[in-house]
Amino acid sequence: MRLINAMTIASFKMFVRQKEAILWTILLPLFMVFLFSFVSFDGMGSISLGVVNYSGDTTLVSFLKNIEALKITEDTEENQLARLRDGDRSLVLVIPATFTSSGSDSLTLYVNSERPQEAQAGRVIIQRAVDEMVFQQHHIPRPTLREESVNSRNLTYIDFILPGIIAMSIMNSGIFGVAFGFVVLKKRGILRRLLVTPINPRDFIISQVVSRLIILILQVVIMVGAGLLLFDLHFVGSLLDMLVIGILGGIVFLAIGFALSGSSKSEDQVAPLANIVTLPMLFLSGVFFSRSALPGIAHTITGFFPLTYLADGLRNIAIEGATLADAWVQVLGLVVWSIITVTLAIKAFRWE
Amino acid sequence: MTPVLEVNNLSKRYGDLVAVNAVSFPVNRQEVFGILGPNGAGKTTTLEMIETLRPLDSGSITLDGMDVTKQPQKVKQRIGVQLQSSSFFDKLSLTELLKLFGEMYGRQIDPLALLNEVELKEKAKSYVADLSGGQKQRFSIAAALVNDPVILFLDEPTTGLDPQARRHLWGVIKRIRSEGKTIVLTTHYMEEAEELCDRVAIMDSGKIIANAPPQELIRKLLGKGFKKERVERLASLEDVFLDLTGHSLRAEQ
Repeated sequence: MRLINAMTIASFKMFVRQKEAILWTILLPLFMVFLFSFVSFDGMGSISLGVVNYSGDTTLVSFLKNIEALKITEDTEENQLARLRDGDRSLVLVIPATFTSSGSDSLTLYVNSERPQEAQAGRVIIQRAVDEMVFQQHHIPRPTLREESVNSRNLTYIDFILPGIIAMSIMNSGIFGVAFGFVVLKKRGILRRLLVTPINPRDFIISQVVSRLIILILQVVIMVGAGLLLFDLHFVGSLLDMLVIGILGGIVFLAIGFALSGSSKSEDQVAPLANIVTLPMLFLSGVFFSRSALPGIAHTITGFFPLTYLADGLRNIAIEGATLADAWVQVLGLVVWSIITVTLAIKAFRWE
Repeated sequence: MTPVLEVNNLSKRYGDLVAVNAVSFPVNRQEVFGILGPNGAGKTTTLEMIETLRPLDSGSITLDGMDVTKQPQKVKQRIGVQLQSSSFFDKLSLTELLKLFGEMYGRQIDPLALLNEVELKEKAKSYVADLSGGQKQRFSIAAALVNDPVILFLDEPTTGLDPQARRHLWGVIKRIRSEGKTIVLTTHYMEEAEELCDRVAIMDSGKIIANAPPQELIRKLLGKGFKKERVERLASLEDVFLDLTGHSLRAEQ
């Protein structure tokens, strides 16, 4: 126990004294959050509507221009249809020469069939604008809707991305930290030197795991703290619950790191392996964007990725205030993964 | 007095290559025993089998009364090892490393005393990466001494060192010998074996072809009527170099 303590403290010291390690595990994730804080996804953006007006009547066009959700450009029919085909427009509205605001001419609406939602929304908006115009022209009274706004938690992209980036950095420091760290220890003969001392290899591994889990706890606390202080994170969950999920995820990724280092002799061998494991998860586990954008089968498969469980778990707790019991699916997923990966690590890990 | 180390009929093969071929030798307490031979003679393999790092194909090794294959953990407690190409953790000072190695043997040690022993006291707070080649080797010896071992194994301790660093290291080894430690070292430098060893085993192609004190080996050779083709010069170029650069104890700092 005394030795495990001493080894844990020693490897923690080694970590803290290594500038690159701090850079990768703490500063880089913070920097990523900082970058993403500039990205805003307000609504779904505006619908770009091309208008071709053959009539001299501008009533409808000025009506449409008042609608915030529409981005309107006027041009010739030929140009507008070309832009529509290029995908630069969602809709093109053609107002015929005979059109008057009080008449009953029909308007033509070309829609981009690749963007059904935008076309649909645009059609509704335009139809409403036309109705509105007609009502006004004829002074027809009608009931109006009065909006009352209720304060809701306005979740921002930062609220989505920050727990995701915590999950990402847990994965990276687990897999890359251990895989590279141990390959270097092996290659430089440091493990060999340990083997001629009476140290129990198991104690050495335990001390490595414990010191890395301490670093993981620091990562989570620093990221959440920075989120609250600098990025206006809407944090409603329990930090302790996040740490529990984080440590579970940490065990899964540390074990993958040990398994990879066991099957490689040098950094050159371990680097591609580690990337093969981490890259698909990085992009498909809902770290940067919601997995709901993925098509059916991909959505199902990526749902089983350990990083998905970790990112979803952290996110549910952080911004939805879920408890560990609410997040039982993620907890269970990570427990199952840790059993699989630890077994794999024990089988694959080699001292020499 | 029984030998502290007895190697009997030790063999090791890698595929078709017989690396160590029926090697036997005893090592007595408080002597410096050298295994001398060219690269690939089997010196390191022999040492690594004694150090519990490699399984034996056949033969037996008894160290301080313990069978190395049966009680490897106990043997590890009692030996001090400097490996040929091993390194230490980054970003731990020499003091911290020695304390940590002490803990591996369940000992609380005085790191400064050990560093003093190998003349590295002033580097106590440095990292291994900042040491010169000779300093690294001396630190490696200090780390091998943390458990006050019954035998100290040094595998080619001076390979790759410049003449000054080599002489400096010889000084350290001689002092450790004078304190009564048993030392087993390998080398491919004849003058090193002659300078340091009480007894040398000459190894070639996995076999020990001679085993005696250096002076006795030389006497035997001369007894066979051997004459050097050229008369030995009274000084060599190495002596010139050492004289010009300020002798061995200009510590490389």
